[in-house]
Amino acid sequence: MKRRILAFGLALIMMFVVMLTGCGGSKTDQSSGQTQQTDKPASKEDNSSKSSSGPVTITYGLWDTNQAEGFKTMISEFEKENPNIKIEMQVTGWAEYWTALDVAASSGTLPDTFWMHTNSIYKYTSQERIMDLTDKIEKSDKVSMDNFPQGLVEIFKYNGKQYCVPKDFDTIGLWYNKTAFDEAGLKYPDETWTWDDLYEAAKKLTKPDKSQYGFLAALHNQEGFYNFIYQNGGTVITPDKKSGYDDPKTIEAMEYYVRFVKEGLSPQVFDDAERAQLMQNGLVAMGLFGSWNLSGFAANEFMAQNCDVTVLPASPGGGRASIYNGLGYAIAPNTKDENAAWKWIEYLGSKEGQTRQAELGIAISAYNGTADAWVESNKTFSIKCFIDMLDYAVIRPYSNTTTVWEDKVYEELRGAFTEEKTVEQACKDAARVMNECLAQE
Amino acid sequence: MGEQRTKKRIGKNRISEWLWGWFLIAPTTIGLIILNIIPAIQSFYMSFFKIGDFGVNNEFVGLANYEKMFNDPQVWRAVINTLRYTVLVVPVSIFLSAVIAVILNSNIKGQDIYRSIYFIPVVATPAAVTMVWRWLYNYHYGLINFVIKKIGLQPVKWMDDPNVAMLSIAIIGIWSIVGYNMVLILAGLQEIPKTYYEAASIDGANSIVMFFKIILPMVSPTIFFVMITSIIQCMQVFDVVYMMINVSNPAYDKTVSLVYLFYNNTFKYYDEGYGSAIVMLLLVIISIITVIQVKLQKKWVNYL
Repeated sequence: MKRRILAFGLALIMMFVVMLTGCGGSKTDQSSGQTQQTDKPASKEDNSSKSSSGPVTITYGLWDTNQAEGFKTMISEFEKENPNIKIEMQVTGWAEYWTALDVAASSGTLPDTFWMHTNSIYKYTSQERIMDLTDKIEKSDKVSMDNFPQGLVEIFKYNGKQYCVPKDFDTIGLWYNKTAFDEAGLKYPDETWTWDDLYEAAKKLTKPDKSQYGFLAALHNQEGFYNFIYQNGGTVITPDKKSGYDDPKTIEAMEYYVRFVKEGLSPQVFDDAERAQLMQNGLVAMGLFGSWNLSGFAANEFMAQNCDVTVLPASPGGGRASIYNGLGYAIAPNTKDENAAWKWIEYLGSKEGQTRQAELGIAISAYNGTADAWVESNKTFSIKCFIDMLDYAVIRPYSNTTTVWEDKVYEELRGAFTEEKTVEQACKDAARVMNECLAQE
Repeated sequence: MGEQRTKKRIGKNRISEWLWGWFLIAPTTIGLIILNIIPAIQSFYMSFFKIGDFGVNNEFVGLANYEKMFNDPQVWRAVINTLRYTVLVVPVSIFLSAVIAVILNSNIKGQDIYRSIYFIPVVATPAAVTMVWRWLYNYHYGLINFVIKKIGLQPVKWMDDPNVAMLSIAIIGIWSIVGYNMVLILAGLQEIPKTYYEAASIDGANSIVMFFKIILPMVSPTIFFVMITSIIQCMQVFDVVYMMINVSNPAYDKTVSLVYLFYNNTFKYYDEGYGSAIVMLLLVIISIITVIQVKLQKKWVNYL
């Protein structure tokens, strides 16, 4: 009897231990992920920085390893100009970045300066987790919001106040495999292309033995069907915050997009990372990819040799669109040295910093007139198309709960790609779940 | 035994022994309380709230999260998936680890090397391991499909096919748990005194009789332990599913586990209250299963 009680007790304890180390573990992971890149000696320094006259260490959080390389150069240049400020970069992956940033924001341990995205801007501004920069920008002689495209300035505004300095923007281009086009004896895609040209070319480029597909119509929004929806005059979210998936124009665009999969002109692709792999291995001859892939694609031998990029095709009605989105620089409200943090952000948002970012090919700088410097930065591909598309680009649809409804919409739309439901049904379901999410905002 | 003695006289030695005892278990106990029990209570508390961004402006909603949970078909799909995963992984992994343990318990050469090899998957980081498996499973370029195509069969969508994906995940689960269970069972096997076998062989028992009359009963407490921990571990499956299956994956509905759903709701959709409610459901399910097992153990577990 005693043994049984003992065993029972033990089992209960075991249950709790195993059960809860799961939760406990994940939390420590996040915080360690955040501090992983932190130099130990540097963090000691910043404790003493207030009292002593030594350099201040400003932490700088970002999620893109490709861009981190270029920023190393910019940081060393900035540090040379400002010997009293040390910039410490903290790079994490996209998904971990937001989990870690969230925990850091709750506990008041945000990096001094960090990147912001439209998906989270509402949450951070409405709860005052990033610093209001309106006054600083007004006083600054280096940064002015007039120098940036209006659309990018707007997305980082909340209640009339400016919370971020625009960093860059990105658009989506049509990437194609030149070798495949040569083989099939087709003309390369250009700005005269329409949806019909894309479809016809995809048909001719698809090989019967499935060793090559004409087009990549993956279940992906920003680098996929969003572009076609807006080209067709449809919408994802209406100005009064309703879902646009039940708009006939949206459904029509989705029908066109899914048709590539249904007719075997595109493989069924659902995984995010797999898309670029397929392009880089020549399994698909055309695909939509954003400008932020540029350094990765240029570093890929196959793509550098065989591929190029151009503007997206127009809809049959002549409608053009490319989804664009921008990032912003933010400062933590409880930064240890407001002036030093602002100095760094001011530099990044100044003409000088923005030009440097473009020259180094880090990203398409948001600052008006720096586009040429960016185009010059990459000779491998004809990247000017990414800038040309800005004339008709549409800001990536967003609301206060973008991340939630984007996932819910994926859950409904994937049935159309596996042909479990009709495209129309999938779109109507997507509209329903999206409206449910929007109603809770 | 101890109680009888304490009734007689509680001496100084006794007290210092107690203090030492508490002192020695203190690190674990304190860790448990801070890292596990307090967060568990907080989760329970949070499950009655709609948690605002960054944990401010929390709003008491009573049982609303639980109500939402019981009406959410995805939660029930996740319950079924989690149970299905457990049913797939636990029996197979225990059987395999028992077989390997028995083999390694015999006098074969290079025992230590084999033991280390089987233990490697346990030490490896699940996320890294899954990345490697993802490449093996890759539909277009994966090694497994490459071999399948070479034999002349149709390639399999290991990760995208709703009917196959759970199996792919379970294979990784079995592969990574077998080594740990094997070591435990091996330890149980080695505790069986040699004299038992000698006595049995003098009485004329063959190896099959020995297996059922000596090995199985003697090792049953270990197997019980292995079973309970494996089930609890399987019920909390997350890393592998998270790394392999996106929300956009058509197999998502057939593979999403309770912890994955908890993760999505808490860390992706920032609905911590709802996430906590899901975790409470998991706690209840695991508790029920564990209690049933503890009740059933007297039917088959032998404590000597």
